[in-house]
Order: sequence, then C-alpha cells, then structure tokens
Amino acid sequence: MVAFACAVVVFMLVRLVPGDPARGILGPHANEESLATLNAELHLDLPLWRQFVAYFGGVLQGDLGRSVVTPSQTVAGVIRASLPITLVLVGVSTIISLLAGVTLGIVAAGRRRSVDVASRGVVALLLSSPPFLIGLVLIFVFSITFALFPPGGWGTGWPDHLKYLVLPSIALSGVLTPLIARTVRQSALDVSREQFVEAAIARGVRPRKLIILHVLPNCMLPVVTLVGINFGFMIAGAVVIEAVFGLPGFGTQLVQAVSARDYTVIQGITLVSALLVISANLIADFVYLVVDPRTRKG
Amino acid sequence: MRLPTIWGRFRSSTAIVVGTAVLCAVVLLCIVVPWVASSSVNELGIPLQAPSLSHIFGTDELGRDVFVRTMAGGRIDLGLAVAGVSVSLVLGTLLGTLAGATKVRSLDAALMRLVDAFVAFPFIVLVLVLVVLIGPERSLGPLPPGIPAVFVALVLTDWAWYARLAHAQTLSLCERDYVVAARLMGFSGYRVIRHHLVPSVFRVNAAYGVGDAILFVIATASLAFLGAGVQPPVPEWGAIMFEGRAYLDSAWWITLMPGAVLAATGLALSLVADSLLAKSGSGQ
Repeated sequence: MVAFACAVVVFMLVRLVPGDPARGILGPHANEESLATLNAELHLDLPLWRQFVAYFGGVLQGDLGRSVVTPSQTVAGVIRASLPITLVLVGVSTIISLLAGVTLGIVAAGRRRSVDVASRGVVALLLSSPPFLIGLVLIFVFSITFALFPPGGWGTGWPDHLKYLVLPSIALSGVLTPLIARTVRQSALDVSREQFVEAAIARGVRPRKLIILHVLPNCMLPVVTLVGINFGFMIAGAVVIEAVFGLPGFGTQLVQAVSARDYTVIQGITLVSALLVISANLIADFVYLVVDPRTRKG
Repeated sequence: MRLPTIWGRFRSSTAIVVGTAVLCAVVLLCIVVPWVASSSVNELGIPLQAPSLSHIFGTDELGRDVFVRTMAGGRIDLGLAVAGVSVSLVLGTLLGTLAGATKVRSLDAALMRLVDAFVAFPFIVLVLVLVVLIGPERSLGPLPPGIPAVFVALVLTDWAWYARLAHAQTLSLCERDYVVAARLMGFSGYRVIRHHLVPSVFRVNAAYGVGDAILFVIATASLAFLGAGVQPPVPEWGAIMFEGRAYLDSAWWITLMPGAVLAATGLALSLVADSLLAKSGSGQ
C-alpha cells in the first residue's frame, strides 16, 4: 500500500517538472518528428492516467524503463550494477555501528560517571556532525597524513575493494553509532534496575557475565527496531558518502542522473530506495519477533 | 509563567546554558562578521594562506578569507534552518493534528498514506530530486540562486515527519478526559483542535524542531556535495567545504574550519534540544 503511494509520488513528481522532457533531451533544435517519436517512446503522448498504468505495470514486472540519456542501458540494469556497492557499504557500516554503539552504550551505563560523560560527549559530537564531515576528517587523517587508505575510488575485483570501503564505512557509521549508543545506554540503565539483575548480582554472577548474559540481550530489542527505522537515513548518508569518496554506488548513479536530467533513472532509483526502506522496516519487525521470545506467545 | 521561574528552570540545566551560549555566539558572529569584515566575502587575496592572526581560518584557493566566508555561510545555513523548520513545523503539526482529530476517516487515511509515502523515501534522496525538479538555478528576489529550491525541497520533505508525530500525539490526546469532555460539551471541531489539541501537540513538536534544525543544516550542506545545493560563489558551509576538498592535502583549513563551526553549532543545538525534549516530557 505504502509502496503504491510511493510509486504515485515518484510518478507525479517527475510529471510535475516544468517543460517538455523530450525537448530537454534532444535539445532546442530538434525537429517536430523526432520529438513526437521520443514522446511516443516515453509514452508521454498518452493521457496521464494511462501513462501511470503503463509505468506501474512495468514496475510490477521489474521493468523500470530505459535510460533517457543513454538508451542502451535499462534502468534496472543501472540499479543492478550499482546497488550492491551501496548495500555492502550500508551493511558494513551497520555492523561497525552495532559494535561501536553497543560498546559505547554499555560503557556509558557503567558506574563511572566520567566515562559516562565522555562517551555521551562522543555521541553528541557524532550526532551533530554530518557524515560527509566525518568522511573528510577521515580522509585528512588516514589518507593524507598517514597514507593508510586510499582517499576514494573503487578497486578492481573483490579483496581489493575492501580497502576502499574502510573509510566510507567508518564515516557512514557515524550516523547510526550515536543513536545505538544512546538507546543501549538508556535500556541498560533500565534493565539494571530490574529484579532479575539484582537477583543475579545477589547470586554472585561476575560483572562481565552479568552484562553479556543478562543485560545485553534485553538491550538488543530496541536496537533492532532502531536499525530498521534508520535504514533510510543510512541510505541517505550513503548517497552523500559515495559522493565524498567517489564510490560508484547507487547514490553516485542518482547524482549523475540528476545532473544529466535522466528522468527514468531518477524515477527508478528513487522508487527503489523507498522500497528498500519499506522492506527494511518489515524485516526489522520480523527480526523483532524472532529475537524476542515474549512476542511469540501472544 | 513568571519570569523568575523561567530563569530558575533555565539555570537548572547546564547543558541548555552552554548550548544557548555557543549558539548565540555563532549567530552573533554570523551577523556581525560579514558586516564589519575588512575584506568582503568574495574579495581576492593571497591564496592558500594558513590560519594566522589576519586570517584566523586562513584563505582559500582564490585568496578569500575563510573565516568571513564561513560566517557569511552561517547566515544562509542557519537562516534556511530557522525558516525551514518553522514552516515545516507549523504545516506538519496542523495537518497531522487535523488528520488525527477528524471524524472523516477517508481524510485521515489519505493524509497519513501521503505522509507514509514521504517518510519512506531516504531524506536526502527526495530532497535532491525535488531540488532538481524545482530548478537549482532559480533565484527569488534578493535570495541567491539555489536557496529557494533548497528551501522548498526541504520543507516539502520535512513536514511529513512533523505530521506523523502530531498524528500519533493527537490520537492519544483524543482519549484524554479533557478532550472527550470538550467534545461532549458540544464544542466545535475547530475549537477542540485549536484550543485543546494544537497547543499541546505543538509544544512537543517544537522541541523536536530544535533538534531538527541540525538535520536541516546537515541536509543543506550535504546537497552542496551532491552538486545540487546553493550555487557557488555564494558562501554556504557545504559549498565551502566541497570547494576546499580538492585542497585537503595542502590546505586543510578551507574544509575543516567551517566543518568545526558546523559541528559546534550542531552540538549546541543538540544540547538545547535534548534539554527541551526532557522538559516538554515528550511521549508524556
């Protein structure tokens, strides 16, 4: 349902562009005949509702049309080539954020106040820095000052890609890490007031075991939801991070399509990004059911 | 509320004092510096000078003073954030409250599906597409090119988040005794919304709005990296950093100094926002 609404929004947005797309593509000196042919090819000569039916029917079959600027490419092909890079980037940074965020949150919830204040400072700083700024600082420190990682670009073949992914992933994890840290801290504090934790302390369970076995599992539930909800922000961050590091992902394709006014590609990428966000939310709900034994009984 | 109580509450939180102080300092600098600066925003000088007493943020590749440009950029970024958040806040709160309170099921459903559709897009992606559709080169009155498009795109995307928040709050408020009572007493829908729902929804949304201003600044600056933001040579934080990126190895100050100002502003905003949210008792 929401996916349908998204398709409508994308479709309407692109139709609302002032001006004639065919003339925009062919240039001001195109003759009437080639304009008419292109319009027919893009189904722009049909009434609006039939255009939508044609578009939506195509979408359901996985056909997003052809690129307007380079007609030899299908939009689905462009997305298939670039999306994996973006998903790997988002996936790796989600893992980094989980590790860093959970550690920061648990440490902050600990007994020492100075550690709490320090880690909350880090969280607030990360939260207020845009990912591209973190990316630039990383480039400055790790590729210019220390020359450890390349400042951008993309390798040839798989193991080679990894070193190009390190800095972008860390930069992008700056979006999610502070959110996770904040949530984990709060729920760790809440959980540690529960009776079962007191009982475990009374039984003489060691602090490390206490945290791993009793506190952590309970903190992970809100984190699952958080990761799902923020998937959209990760994709949005990835678009910017790809521009900073020159990764040939889906965001770079979008930016290129935007500057070339390649309407079908813009339309396709925007729609797919929304579908990704919707499915991420569904997956998060599902994982929640699996992770939390309490929701299974109901 | 009497003034002493406000002040008492205000002082009770160090975070809010520090945040407000930093914010005031940045705003003041943004207003004063471009106005009294000896070198104007686009005046050329010796290029790529390191920070010194005469140019405390150094100069860029054309010899322009980075400090003056950063502060002039702050006018644009912060101005856009204040204007954009206010418009989205009012628009989103009203529409969300209306959808939550209306008896017309279809209106509620239609509005909220529209909100769902807007919220489903990754924020920057939708903003970027909208900026391009509106036309990034368009200028309006005294505003430099790019700003109207960025403003409209951000507001068109952002209102939906406030509408969603307002909708959820309204649904829970409508169960409250005082709203039920107002309805039973036969008050008109307009009166219930205007006097009983909007004030309380608005307070919570406004607290979110302060935090949202960071997102606005970040989005405005990020757009420059995607080539769709405020157009050079207009100084804007993202645009300055984007131009400076090519010189990161020889002149880090062009990029990192405005970045530090941006981060400090964001930090100050989040300190204020967190304290306000804690006080407005969000989520009741």
